[in-house]
Amino acid sequence: MLFCLKVKKNNSELHVFTHFRHSEVRVYNEEVELEDRDPQQDYMLYKDTCADLAKLMAEIQELKSSGAKVGSVEIEERHRQCSVHFITLKKLNRLAHMRLKKGRDQTHEAKQRVDVLHLQLQNLLYEVMHLQKEISKCLEFKSQHEEIELVSEEEFFQEAPAEISRPHVTRDDNHQLTLARLDWELEQRKRLAEQYKMSLARKEKIQKAIEQKREYLSSLQPGLQNIMQASLPVQEYLSMPFEQMQKQAEVARHLPPPLYVLLVQAAAYGQACDKTLSVNISGDVDEAKALSRRPEDSQEDESDSDAEEEQQNTKRRRATVGVQLEDKRKAMLRRHPLSLCVDLKCKDGSVLHLFFYYLMNLNILTVKTKVSTATDLSGAVSAGELLNSESLLNCLYASDHGKETPNPANRYQFDKVGITTFADYVSDLGHPYVWVQKLGGLQFSSDGAQVCVALEIALSASHMEKTMKLLRGRLQARLALHKQFSSLEHSIIPVSSECQHLFPAKVVSGLTRWTMMSYQEFTELGFVQHVLKAGLVCETDLFFMAVVERGTARLLAAVVLNPRYPEVMPLFSLSLHWKGERSGRTEDNLRAMESEVNVFRAELQGPRPGLQLLTNQIQRLCVCLDVYLETESQVCDGSEGPREFPREKMCLRTARGPSRLKPFKYNHPQGFFSHR
Amino acid sequence: MGPVELLHMSVFSQSFSPCGRFLAAGNNYGEIALFSLSAALSPDASEASQKPILNFTAHDGPVFSLLSTDTHLLSAGNGEISAWSWAELIKKSTKAAWTRKPSYETSLEIPEINAMIINPKDNSLIVGGGDNNIHIMDMETGIFKSVLKGHTDYIHCLCFKEREEEILSGGEDGAVRIWDSRTNRPVHCIEVFKYEECARPQFGKWISCLATDSDWMLCGGGPSLSLWHLRSMSPTSVFPLPGCQREAVFHQDLIMSVGEGPYVSHCLHGGTVKAQIPCTPSSLNTLALNLKNTEHRVMTVGGSSHQIDVFTNFSYRAFSLSF
Repeated sequence: MLFCLKVKKNNSELHVFTHFRHSEVRVYNEEVELEDRDPQQDYMLYKDTCADLAKLMAEIQELKSSGAKVGSVEIEERHRQCSVHFITLKKLNRLAHMRLKKGRDQTHEAKQRVDVLHLQLQNLLYEVMHLQKEISKCLEFKSQHEEIELVSEEEFFQEAPAEISRPHVTRDDNHQLTLARLDWELEQRKRLAEQYKMSLARKEKIQKAIEQKREYLSSLQPGLQNIMQASLPVQEYLSMPFEQMQKQAEVARHLPPPLYVLLVQAAAYGQACDKTLSVNISGDVDEAKALSRRPEDSQEDESDSDAEEEQQNTKRRRATVGVQLEDKRKAMLRRHPLSLCVDLKCKDGSVLHLFFYYLMNLNILTVKTKVSTATDLSGAVSAGELLNSESLLNCLYASDHGKETPNPANRYQFDKVGITTFADYVSDLGHPYVWVQKLGGLQFSSDGAQVCVALEIALSASHMEKTMKLLRGRLQARLALHKQFSSLEHSIIPVSSECQHLFPAKVVSGLTRWTMMSYQEFTELGFVQHVLKAGLVCETDLFFMAVVERGTARLLAAVVLNPRYPEVMPLFSLSLHWKGERSGRTEDNLRAMESEVNVFRAELQGPRPGLQLLTNQIQRLCVCLDVYLETESQVCDGSEGPREFPREKMCLRTARGPSRLKPFKYNHPQGFFSHR
Repeated sequence: MGPVELLHMSVFSQSFSPCGRFLAAGNNYGEIALFSLSAALSPDASEASQKPILNFTAHDGPVFSLLSTDTHLLSAGNGEISAWSWAELIKKSTKAAWTRKPSYETSLEIPEINAMIINPKDNSLIVGGGDNNIHIMDMETGIFKSVLKGHTDYIHCLCFKEREEEILSGGEDGAVRIWDSRTNRPVHCIEVFKYEECARPQFGKWISCLATDSDWMLCGGGPSLSLWHLRSMSPTSVFPLPGCQREAVFHQDLIMSVGEGPYVSHCLHGGTVKAQIPCTPSSLNTLALNLKNTEHRVMTVGGSSHQIDVFTNFSYRAFSLSF
């Protein structure tokens, strides 16, 4: 085999022929040669050769420059040596290359071996991981059987029969134990399911039995009704009006809430405390039922009442604006068809009838009154106003005039329909006193802008007793005044026997006139200005003029009677016409007389409830006038002749103190007059 | 006190405190009210400062007379005299320091005490009232040492002349009696109603006000208010005031008097009425001048009303204190 190694080097080629024979060991193989040579030696050789070459080149150069010919022997010699050196260099280069290649091959091989091992490692690691995952998955596996609640082990061993529990096996083997327990569980569940089915069937049966019995009972109802009807005469005989009370209760269900509260409270009060009070419902029940069938309309606030008004308007044909407004007003002021009638009976047989109405859209209660007396009240002209139903209940509580609606929200409602004041409708609809609202449990409190309307039963209950007492007191006071007025008009001052001790036996001055005045007339009097200035007079008060006379002396007394008499004392203002005109403002003694009559309530009111107050005051006025006239001093020289009023009253002193007041205080039983 | 009681209230007596900052007033219900003048006169006074700082019931009957010593307020009620310490009153304590009664003969009706004055010379209290007698009490011991009898009707007013140490008393019987305080004997008796210039028979004869200033004496009541010269015992001027006067005082060269009629009359010694200043009550019972305190130099009047008028400038009413 012939191998041709071409060694190229720059511009020359050198062919080196080598022989390689299989059988011969003697091979000119540079690779084999490589192992023998030492790279370091080769390197030295290279350096030497390069040095020689450089030297030779330099010699050639020298020779050439010194003018030798190109083909001269020295130069040729040197050329030959250079070529030999070149060949050496080429060999060295080859060897270097071959060394390099060998090194590379060895590295490559090693690398490959490492790669294979690395790959194997990776594979194994991967498999390990995989196996680990599998193991953990297996470990996490929860079997469904663990969700089933099982009885505890001890219980299981105790209860389960031997074929299931198989203690000899299960005590040692947990797996078997669990299996056994599951079996037992299954059995138990099957058994219980059976029981459940049986119970259900039983329940059905019992239900049917109940139904049957119910039907039976309902069939009894008509029978009972018949018995109730038949028992009515028995009820009446025994005066236990169940039927009546039931009927009332039935009607009461249709009452609006405030009236209902009032009914309940009044009935309760009547039963518990006051046998003379009775309550009745009157009015149209069907209409009430019709109203309540439209549930929210009748008693709610104005947004709904607007709807009502609109309905009403569309029913009519296009009426004029005025008529429309009128209709709106009427609708706003509509009363609930049912009303309550409360009767208060007094001992002397007179009855105060109170009719309570509920104004649905305005959410207030109003009251109208009527008085029926046992005896016929006649004669007293001045008493006309006393029992006037318009003013009878005026100021039952202080400053409760009942002219305006107590519900502040009504203001806005009124503005919508052009009602300026409720007072115009009061005579028609009744008075909306504050105590009436309270009795019905309606509380209007307007703090700031918030208006709160609360239906409070407790409010009604707490006011009931007081109000009833006040009402009765008012009626009695007015009736008493009525009687007193009729005798006052006949110039008789009715002094009861209990009060006789307040006055001396002989009273000469007498009442000659008792008339009623209007507020206008009162304010025009000259001698009452101090009372007006002190703010003690109100337009709702009653005004009277009493004239007391003795001889030539005339005493005019203007009386202010507050509606809350006798809680509030009547106020007297005096003017004396005798030898000129004097009043309490010009003369201290008349002022003392006014004080005597106006201030001493405790003495003058007489026995409770103090209905004698006014007549006692008038009698005291007459007594004081007597004292005044009799103690009036004569002129110094006494030349006037006989006194007009001889001294009859016993007085210790006729003047006392800096203002020289007369003795107006009567002392009983000694019967003399002294100073306060 | 309700509005009706207030309407019928009368103020009968007044007295200023020794320091001049407080006014005590007594009314017909037996109450004494204490007003703070410094509060009422201060620039930021309100309605509340015109109300009493203290109001208590001192006696059963009306308080017709109030008198201030250096330390105490003496008040006269129904026949008794009570003393209240001013310091205690200002602290709003209403406990009386002492209460004494002169001895009275009658027992049926308790006589009132209408006038009280102090005799500074021997520190005695002179009271006159409803039993027609003048009682003199020693202030230190509290014993009533003498009784001056002579009047035939009750005594309205008392006065003391310091120079001659004489007590003057005017009564319902129309007489002005002059007593010597050292000997307790009557010296003179002037029956004013017997003098034609003064007498007014249409009213009566009683003397309800007395005042003295050195040799001069003012007296009035039923008869007209008149100025008398005491040495000659004759009236020099008569004042043409329509009503009956109840209190009169000398102030600088004016004479101020109050009585029936809602005004304070300013008069000159010559007999002319210079001015009549209107006030709230319809008739006046008492007039008081606060001369002890220059800051609160006011005149206050009270009468048939629950209001007491205060005059800072004596020519017009400034404001009213009210009970």
